[in-house]
Order: sequence, then structure tokens, then C-alpha cells
Amino acid sequence: MQMTYATFPYLSAILVSCVGGLLAILCIPEERKSWIKWVSAVSSGMTLVLSIAVFFAYDKSLGGLQFVEKVAWVPALGIQYFNGADGFNLPNLLLTGIVFFTGVLTMWELELRVKEFFALYFLMVAGVFGLFMSFDLFFIFIWYDVSLFPMYLLIAVWGTTRKEHGAMKLTLYLLAGSALILPAIVYLFVKAGLSTFDLIRLMQPGVFTAEEQIFAFLPLYLGFGILAGVWPFHTWSPVGHVAAPHGVSMVHAGVLMKIGAFGVLRVAICLCPEGWKYWAQLMAVLAAIGVIYGALVGLRQTDLKYVIGYSSVSHMGIVGLGLSTVTLEGLDGAVFQMFAHGVMTALLFSSVGYIYDRTHTKAIADLGGLSRTMPVASAYFIVAALAGIGVPGLANFWGELMVLIAAVQVYPLRGVMAVLALVVSALFMLRVVQRTFYGPGKDQYAQLPDVPFTLGIPRMVLTTVLVLLGLFPSILFDMIQTASIPFMSGLPK
Amino acid sequence: MTTGLTHSATATAALLATLSPFVAFLVILIVTRSRQQLSATVSLGAVGLSFVCAVLLLAGYWGMEGAVRLTVPWLSAGAYAIPFGFLLDPLSLLMLVIVTTISLLVQVYSLGYMAGDSGFSRYYAFMSLFVFSMTNLTLAPTLLQLYVFWELVGLSSYLLIGFWYEKFSATQAGKKAFVMTRAGDVAFFLGMLVPLLHLGNVGIVDMNSLHPATSISPGMLTLSAVLIFGGIVGKSAQFPLMTWLPDAMEGPTPVSALLHSATMVAAGVYLFARLFPYFSLSPTAMTLFLFIGTLSMLLASTMAMVDRDIKKVWAYSTISQLGFMIMALASGGPGGYFSGVYHLTTHAGFKALLFLCSGVFIHHFQTNDMFELSEKQCRHLKVPTVAIVLAAAALSGLPPLSGYFSKEAILKQLTVLPNPIWLTAALLGVFLTAYYSFRVVFVLCFPRKPEADSEEQTVKGDTAHGGHGEASYGLMVWPLVILAGITLLLGFGEHALKVLLVGHQDARGSLEGWAVDWLPVAALGLAISGAGVAWVEFGHKKAKQVGFVEEEPRLAALFRERWYLDHLYRILVERGIDKGISTLFYRNDNLVIDGSIDGMGKGTVEGGRFVARLHLGMIQHRLVVTLAVLAFLSLYFFF
Amino acid sequence: MIVPFSHVLVLAGMLFVLGIVCTVARRNLIMIVLGVEIMLNAASIAFVGAASRWHNLEGQAFVLFVLAIAATEVSVGLAIIVYAFRRTGSFDPSAYNRLK
Repeated sequence: MQMTYATFPYLSAILVSCVGGLLAILCIPEERKSWIKWVSAVSSGMTLVLSIAVFFAYDKSLGGLQFVEKVAWVPALGIQYFNGADGFNLPNLLLTGIVFFTGVLTMWELELRVKEFFALYFLMVAGVFGLFMSFDLFFIFIWYDVSLFPMYLLIAVWGTTRKEHGAMKLTLYLLAGSALILPAIVYLFVKAGLSTFDLIRLMQPGVFTAEEQIFAFLPLYLGFGILAGVWPFHTWSPVGHVAAPHGVSMVHAGVLMKIGAFGVLRVAICLCPEGWKYWAQLMAVLAAIGVIYGALVGLRQTDLKYVIGYSSVSHMGIVGLGLSTVTLEGLDGAVFQMFAHGVMTALLFSSVGYIYDRTHTKAIADLGGLSRTMPVASAYFIVAALAGIGVPGLANFWGELMVLIAAVQVYPLRGVMAVLALVVSALFMLRVVQRTFYGPGKDQYAQLPDVPFTLGIPRMVLTTVLVLLGLFPSILFDMIQTASIPFMSGLPK
Repeated sequence: MTTGLTHSATATAALLATLSPFVAFLVILIVTRSRQQLSATVSLGAVGLSFVCAVLLLAGYWGMEGAVRLTVPWLSAGAYAIPFGFLLDPLSLLMLVIVTTISLLVQVYSLGYMAGDSGFSRYYAFMSLFVFSMTNLTLAPTLLQLYVFWELVGLSSYLLIGFWYEKFSATQAGKKAFVMTRAGDVAFFLGMLVPLLHLGNVGIVDMNSLHPATSISPGMLTLSAVLIFGGIVGKSAQFPLMTWLPDAMEGPTPVSALLHSATMVAAGVYLFARLFPYFSLSPTAMTLFLFIGTLSMLLASTMAMVDRDIKKVWAYSTISQLGFMIMALASGGPGGYFSGVYHLTTHAGFKALLFLCSGVFIHHFQTNDMFELSEKQCRHLKVPTVAIVLAAAALSGLPPLSGYFSKEAILKQLTVLPNPIWLTAALLGVFLTAYYSFRVVFVLCFPRKPEADSEEQTVKGDTAHGGHGEASYGLMVWPLVILAGITLLLGFGEHALKVLLVGHQDARGSLEGWAVDWLPVAALGLAISGAGVAWVEFGHKKAKQVGFVEEEPRLAALFRERWYLDHLYRILVERGIDKGISTLFYRNDNLVIDGSIDGMGKGTVEGGRFVARLHLGMIQHRLVVTLAVLAFLSLYFFF
Repeated sequence: MIVPFSHVLVLAGMLFVLGIVCTVARRNLIMIVLGVEIMLNAASIAFVGAASRWHNLEGQAFVLFVLAIAATEVSVGLAIIVYAFRRTGSFDPSAYNRLK
């Protein structure tokens, strides 16, 4: 693969602005809550700007791996600090930047233990960024755990519904995932015999035999797949979404689940393409079940956030389905869907956050008629819900379209089942919208204020991204294809 | 002829026609939301521009050879390149003119109808969104673009039906409309994949110029046609997905006039006409379509005979007329193509007129019930009363109105079919249509209880309060006059349209002259007798105003309950999905998956407890164990 | 050498077993420490015997180290026992199984 070294270390700069923000927050005394929030906003804003900059600075005509930063860390074991940007991780970096920034703004009204919250939040996001940009297996594993560990505290301390239970469940599931990943990584390291964790070198054809790839793929897929909400290892995700505070739910559903899918792509699929082909049937079955299952279970939820949680299961099933097709279209669609779902679900949680902070309930039965009192807040939620249904003009449509085209082509039956789930997902999303936002206004909510401009900024940003990509999907597709086309054409036949 | 989108007057006109409403939509949502008059001005300006461009395009096209295809790349992923662009040919331009004309008139009308509503700006924003989606749907050069905007018109329909979101029934209807059409769209999507996978693209021109003996096998072709037709069934509210349309009447009346009668629901028929050569490749599928069209036509007519809600009657009649169009198209050949599209054109005019007239009554008297309207002396509003009679006559197919010509064209086309059952059904449909149309007319015009206190206002009406002034009435009347003019005159443009749509050869050829001499007489006779029966039962001074169907309560109930289709769906959704599968899966989540995980957790804890019992915490026990182990080890090593 | 080496080893072995029994069986912390000391002394006797058997003084040097360590061990052990007695009022080791 072609490599271009960085003239300006964009990627490290992203990490530095995260970690710098973290240190700055730690230095501010606890009582200065507004200082902490401003520092968080500025530093996350910087991260966003950097991630946008790197996205557009990437030379699409050149392709390959760009902005490479490589420093040997433990030479004896071949561990390197090795970052780079390609068509697969750039959308995810951009997504993380967007969700991070909007997540900080969504938590603007937080009053409880502000300092600790933002410090942990920054730590988590730094891990996410690190994972997306890293090309060193060892670092990928480290970043993976860095991003998961703060989650437990964030949910257990600042969460709401059955928070300890949710936090515990989530942590255990995800640690089970990393318990599967670590042996597989060690296995690959030993089998390669190159004494390096360098992903690019391990990716060369001929490093692993087909049997080794088939053997290592499954634990890697399942380990990362747990984080991506692959059925039947998905039950942590709705519970975790519900328990987490809104800003954390945004990162959680918007970005963390993408880490899982991205890990499957970056580690499992890139290193073990033979394993990928071998296990594709299984992946497709699990993904198709996830798509339908998530939608159907979502149909009977009574808590606003549970609904979103199960819709995530369904949408991540689409990502999995795309990955399982072993086609270019499926791969493109899956990565696109990762991005689109991240933005959409962040918007959903952000809107629910605003509503919950005012009404103090997430039970759908207690809400109703909110369009009367807070039309703008409702409109944001409705836009996100429509995106979730797959209405064209919003980003998700394109991802789903590509994945479903590929899926029906490769696995007709499973593909058709997944397409049918679109009807169910329309049904349950619209039901939620109807019961929450429509209907006569309720008296107890009559005095609630609508979103003021400043608090509306995060939702505005997310909505804009959804619409922009809905109208011009090629912004992202062209980027993804700089990586997916060489990858697919390099696959052994 | 395929060209890029740049440097062409045609392209500019097409762009302006399709995109200006979108600009209006954004401007209203972002900038002028709080200023109602400005929003309306923006929206009207945009749709006016669209209308002018559409007319110019059609005028410019007249006499040109071949279709014009203008595209720019929109997206390419993998093997598939999806262009965005326009396909300008007689059919699309005709449809574009219909859409923009009705949109413009309805938006002017809405100035009066929606005046004073708190959601005035929102209404115009959604209307602009609809016009944008519909015009792009019309001009789409590929099936995929058509599908994109097909979904978007569904979205605008959802938003506009549920426009008065505080009304439970309205939001319920919006949801139902969206989900039911979505069910059809899923079929459409799958159907579209067949040519996509076989041909590599879904350009409409490519699909239509497909050779019968190409890579697609006849079985796949039929499958694809039937699946795409699923989308048509959903959008045009045909059997079995027909019940959303009457419920959609919960939306404001201008919306019903524009979306749910004249244009959006006709998009299904338009798609049929669009892919007419492609569908024609599969005779099996065409027969199925003929059957579905006929069935929907008859079922909807029976439903229309018993409803008291004036808008719902027109909704059923819309389904029924769409069924007529599908019958015509499904009968095949250039004649079928022409008569179907011709009926679509005339129907758009007179059906919009019917709705808008009813809208004036509803707005003025605040009720949807035709008997109440009648009691409140709605016939004193002269212009709408005259216009509604005119439109009803057109709907029934009475000369010299537009409906007469198009319906005769369809009937004549049906004589081509070998099996007489279709013609018989169509003639029965003609009779029923005349009956239910004139039932409404006579009920409205001949009130039983003279001069009830017309000041009393019920709250059943669906309109916003306020805005009853002369100004709003004037705004609402002018579109009626224009549409009535169109209804009167459109019938005489038959030949010109025929030339436009099917070319000179076909227009002069087999379509000239009556295939069967008795047909026009029979059709006209049936229409008049339908009206006559309606007169005897509803118009006549001593008539009880009870239809012959209502004499038989079980039949009436069957018709009123829409042949129990809704019950079936409700059972399916509530019992089958909600209480059945969904609950099952939910339990599976909680009991099986979580249960086994929690079981593993509990097992670990219990195991720990059990092992802990072995540990008494006594140093001496440990020493004993240690020594014993050492002793055994030494035994092992030394001996 | 007057005493045969085997006799020395038998004596050391018997003392060691006595020490084990004392450590394991007695229910008094002080006696347990005493048992440990007896075991140490048994080892010392074996060392001394071996030193004279092979005429090598390193064995006796080891015994000096063992004596020193035994002294420190007893002092630390008794200090802990005194402290533990103050906390619980008992010398019984079963009173100290709180880590269980």
C-alpha cells in the first residue's frame, strides 16, 4: 500500500487536543464549572476542526495511506506508534469529531461533578480516536480498552435507569469481547513470525495461511462484534444506552458501536480475508437476524431510549450485513452506514436529552403533544427518526440502499428479510414520533421552553450533516472508495 | 439523446422547475418560519416558476424528435453509478405540467383555506417539499432516482396528512399511509433490483428498450414487474393496500386535492405508464395488473356508495378511477397507454376540482358530513355548487366534459381484450361511478330540512378556525373557476394529446373510430341510469335519501367497513406482530439471552461461594495441605 | 565421630515431626510459633551433623544464620501475636479467619 508521511501531524494533533483538553480540565478547580465547560467546548471544537481538516486534506486521487506517523516504541516486540489515515478510518474520525463536539455541547447543562465527567469523557474519546487512527495491532488493543474503561464510571455515576446494572452488564460484555480479541492477536503475532504488530506488514498476502486466517477470524469477529451489537450479543447495548447520560449515549451508540464494526473491518477482515470469505455466511445470518430482531423488539418498547437502543441494534445489523456480502458495494455501504448511523443516533439521543432534562421522563406513555410546546426540539427528533427509517434526502438512505442492493444480490433470502424489516422500522419509529410529539399538548408540559439557539447548536450541526450527506452522498462514498477499491481488488480470488 | 446538464436552456428550465421548490422549502424552514405571508409568497413564487418552466418545456418539446436525457453523476459506488438528471419526453412533460398546474392552483387556494392557521408557514414548507419531490419524480431518468423521490413524496404525504398533529386520527392516518405505502415500496425496491443486477443500471430508457430475448429470463421479468407493481399498488392505493387513502382525508382539504387525488397517488399510475414497454414484456404480469385494477375499481366504488363523509366519497372514487387507469394501461398496446394517461390527465383536473369545491363547503360550514352540509344550505354558495356539479358530471363520464372522452377511450380500449369480463366490469364501474357521484350532488343540492340554523357550528370539520372573510372566499373561488374551465375544455384536446403521446402513426391508426358500435350508447346509458337511480333515491322531492345498498344492512356494513380489510390489517399488526413476534423476541431477549448471561454470572458467584466454603481461613489447615503435598511430591521424586 | 551420622538424622527427623505436629495441632498461636522454632532447630541439628560428617564448616555457619533469623522471627511473631491478642482477646487461630 502506498504510504505518504505527514508534513503536519494532523492525527497526533487530534490526540493532543483531546489529551490536552483532559489535562486542562484536571487543572481547573472543581467549582469553576463554566470554565470546565468552555475548555471542553473549545478543545473538542479544535478536535472537530482538525478532523474536518484531515478529511479534506486527504488526497483522494493519490489514495493509499496518508498522514503517516511512525515512531518505534518497543522495538524488541515490534510495537510502534503508527498512525495513518485512509478511506476507511477518515469517515470514522470525522464522525468521532462531530459526535464528540456535539456531545460536549449536549451536556452543557450538567451540574453534577462536572470536572470528573468531562475528564472521563475526554479520556474515552481519546481512546476512540486513537483506535481509529492506529495501524499497530498492539495499540489498537490498548486504545480499545482505554475507550471502554471510562464508560463504566460514566454510566454508573451519571446515568439514570438502573445505571449500575447497565454499567456492569456493558463492561462485562465488552471485556468478554477483549478477552476474545487478545488471544487472537497474540496468535496472529506468533504465527506471522515477523515480530511486528505493524498492521500494514501483517496485511501482506502470504503472511498467514488460509487455515490460520479462518481460525483467527472468528474470535476477532465475535470479539469486536460484541461491541458492534451483533445478535445475539446485543443485549448490553439497549441497556447501556438507556442507563448512560445523554452525551455518553451519543458517543456510545454513535461511535463506540462503530469501533466494533471498524475493528471487524480493520483487524478481522483486513488481516484474515480468507477467514472473512469462509465465515461470511454466518456473519450474514447473524446480521440479518439482528436487523429484523432489533426492529421487532423495538416495536414494543415503552421507554424512548430503549426504542433508540433497539433501533441501533437493527441499524448495526445493516452494517454487519454489508460487511458480510464480501462485495465492494456492501463494504462501501457498510462504512457509509456506520457514519450515517452515528450521526443519526447522536441526534436522537441529543434530542431526547433535551426533552428528558425538561420533562424528567423517558416513558413514551407519559409524553405526548410535545410538538406544541417545543416544536424545534421535536423537529430535530423527527428528522433523526426519519433518517432512521431510511427516508431519502437524509444520509442513512444511501448506506442502507447500497448494503441492501449488495445483500439481495449475494444472499437473496436474507437480503429480502432485511428489506422487509424496513417496514417494521418505519412502523415503530413513526409510532414513537406519534405518541411522543403529536396529539394534544399536555398541561404539565405547557410551560416548557423550546430549544434556544445556543443549546440547539449540537442538533443543528448533526441535522446539517445528515441533510448534506443525504443530498451529496458522494462526499463520503468517494472517500471510502479510495480504500475499498484497492482492498477488494487486492483480495485473493 | 444524452447530454450534460450544463449550457442548455432546456437544462436550466428543468433545473428551475424542479429545484426552486426545494429552495423555497429551505428558505421557509430556516428564514421565514415566523413570517407567514412571506413564507406563502416564497412558496407561491417557487411553484409559479416551476409552472412557467414546465409549460415552456412542454411547448419547446412539441414537435421535437425523441426523448432528451440530461444527467450529471450523483453517486458511484462499486459497480453502480447513480446519475441525477432529467428525462424529458412527452409523458414526463405532460405529467410535469399537470403537477405544477394543480400545485399552483392549490397553493393559491390554500391562501384562503389555511389563512389564520398557526402552522401556515409549515404548511407551505411541506407543500414546497412535495412539489420538489413530485417534479423530480416526474422527470427522473432512472428508476433509482424515481424511487428516491417516490419515498420523498411519501414523506411529504405523511407530514401533510398529519399536519394537524394534535388530532389523534390525523397522526394515525399519516402513520398508516406511510407504513402501508412503505410496504409497497419495499416490493418496488426489490423489483427494481432485478433489472439493476441484470442490466447494471435502471435507466428508464434502457429498461424500456429492452429486448424480450435479453439476459433477463421471462420468469425474472414477471417477478420484477409484479414487485414493481407492488409499489404502484401502495402508492395508488389499489387492492389490497387501499385503505390508507380514505384515512388520509384527515389532512387539510387542499392537501387531499393535490396529493391524494390529482398527483401523488397518480404517481403510481404514472410509474406504470413510465415503464409501460417494460411491463408489456410480461403478459402474465399484465393480466394480474388488469385483475387488480378491476378489483380495486369495483371495491372502491361500492365503498363510495355508502359513506357520508364527502371527502371520503371522493377518496374512494379516486381509488376507483386509478383502478380504471390501471385497467386501461394493463390492457396493453398504444391504445391502452394513451387512454390510461389521458384519463390520468382529465382525472387530475376534475378530481382536484371536486376536492376544492368540497373544501369550500367544509371551510365554510365546518363539517365533512354531506347531509349536514346540505342542511346548512351549502347550495347557496353558487360558484362551488355549480363547479361540483360540473366535476361530478365529468367523473360520471357525461359529455361534453373531459371525463366523458377519457372514459370512452378506456372502454373502447377494453373491447380489444378477448375476455368480455373486463369490459363488463368496467361498464358496471361506470354505472356505480355515476350513482355515487350524483348521490353526493343530489344530497348537497336538495336539503331535506329547509333552513336549519346555519349559524350553529359543529366541531367536526377539519379546518382551522378563522379566515371566513370574503377575501379568503375570493382566493378560493378563482382556482375553482380555472379548473372548471379545464374540465370543460380538456376533452377537446384528445387528438393533440394522442399525437403527443403515441405519435402520428398510432394516433391515426387503430385508435380511430369505434370498435363496437353499441359501446358509446351503452356507456352513456349506464352513466345516465346511474345518475337516474341517484335521482330517484336522493334528488326526488319525496325520496328518503336512503340508498338501495343501505336497505340491506349487512351489505351496507360490508361496504362501510371497507370489506373488512382494515380489520384484517389490524389483526395482523396487533396480534401478529405486536403481541406475537415482537413479544416473543422481547421475551427471548429478556429470558433466553439475558437469562443465560445472567445465569453465567450467577453460576460464577455460586461457584465462588462453594469454593469459599473449603477455605476456613485456618493457617494450620493450609500447613497440613502444604506438608501433605510436599510429602507426596518427595515420594514421587525420590522413589 | 562418636555419634553416627544416621543417628543425628533420625534425631533431626523426630524433632521436625514433633515441630510439625505442634504447629498443626495446637490451638494456641504461641505454641504454633514454638513449633516453627522446633522445626528450625531440627534443621540446624541436621546441618551441624552434616558439617562434622564432611568436615565442612559451612554447615555450622548456616546454623548461626538460622539462629539469628529465628531470633528475629520470634520477636516479630510474638509482637504480632501480642497485637492480635489485644484486638481479639484470644490466642485461637480460628478467630483470625476474617479474610475468608
